[in-house]
Amino acid sequence: MRPDDRHYLPSHEWVKINEQTATIGITDFAVDELCSGNEGDLVYCDLPELGRVVDAGETFGEIESVKAVSDLNSPVGGEIVEVNPEIEDHLEILSDDPWDRGWLIRIKLDQEMKSELLDVSAYEELIAEKE
Amino acid sequence: METWRLITTWGAPPEFNMGLDGALLEDPDTPPTLRFYTWTPAALSLGYFQRYLEVPAAAEAFVVVRRVTGGGAIHHTNELTFSIAASLEHPLFEGPVTRSYERVHDLLAHALAKSGCEPSLRGDEALLSDSDETGMCFHHSTALDLAWGGRKGVGSAQRRRDGRVLHHGSIKLGSSQYDTGVAELEGLDDPAQLASEITASFLEAGGIRLQPGVPTRAERLRADELGELAIDPDFVHRR
Repeated sequence: MRPDDRHYLPSHEWVKINEQTATIGITDFAVDELCSGNEGDLVYCDLPELGRVVDAGETFGEIESVKAVSDLNSPVGGEIVEVNPEIEDHLEILSDDPWDRGWLIRIKLDQEMKSELLDVSAYEELIAEKE
Repeated sequence: METWRLITTWGAPPEFNMGLDGALLEDPDTPPTLRFYTWTPAALSLGYFQRYLEVPAAAEAFVVVRRVTGGGAIHHTNELTFSIAASLEHPLFEGPVTRSYERVHDLLAHALAKSGCEPSLRGDEALLSDSDETGMCFHHSTALDLAWGGRKGVGSAQRRRDGRVLHHGSIKLGSSQYDTGVAELEGLDDPAQLASEITASFLEAGGIRLQPGVPTRAERLRADELGELAIDPDFVHRR
């Protein structure tokens, strides 16, 4: 079972809200889709500058595996106030711990969370359909 | 049996080639599309995240563009270039990236075998065409690459965005100035002939009928915009 303390996008990003700050990352499923268990296949992650404002659903970064570049989409809107400094040089963190150490950005919320975000049960159902 | 759109644009400008692929990726209403093309003039394309200075050939090439797909640089001459734009839900692309490569390469291998070579996935062994420090796609191989004669024969990369995928491929008819030491296709010097073999393979091995078509007006307009970006010096030199 994946963590139930956060919400998910169908494009496999997660968001965890703590008061007015949202922490965002990608799920274990997203990592597996990109690199099929070979963490060395993740080669680059481009994360945004601090201070950039994103809308819910907007692309905030990109991640490259050996064979594909994929967009990273923000589940919520607001100003990017923190970027995980470890990710660029240690992409293996995304495989080892996508839920905690593998967070990507933190956003100061300025919009209500959208209703189309999935809770963990709905996300698990979505994944089950794909597996 | 399903039907896809087939777009063929021989000898098109580099910026048009990149712009149209970008447009095909973006439009959710675009039907699955297989596109064959060649380049006039010949151009060098950088991978989306490649550093310009890590590709020595970029400083010498007549035209340089940057792709939206990842991977290494390709010198687009003496080759058939193709792209596939489709939903990530399509059976060809659903699931892990690696599986989608295996399926696409199965179709290509079926076609290439008719051209007299014996293509297979590289697997664990390094290739004779591997070479350090050129930054060229054909000088770097992975287990999923199609190779024959111990050399890389197909360069490929994907972009995944908003539930869609763009799969880029380059099949060399032989080596070129910067893509040296690649797998050769003996006796085949016409990209259109190879395109016909691949079209037949999609039908025979994939159950996909290809209906010749053209880009829509909206796709052409978007291709113009995205093409300008692909060749913009700021974008080409962004890394």
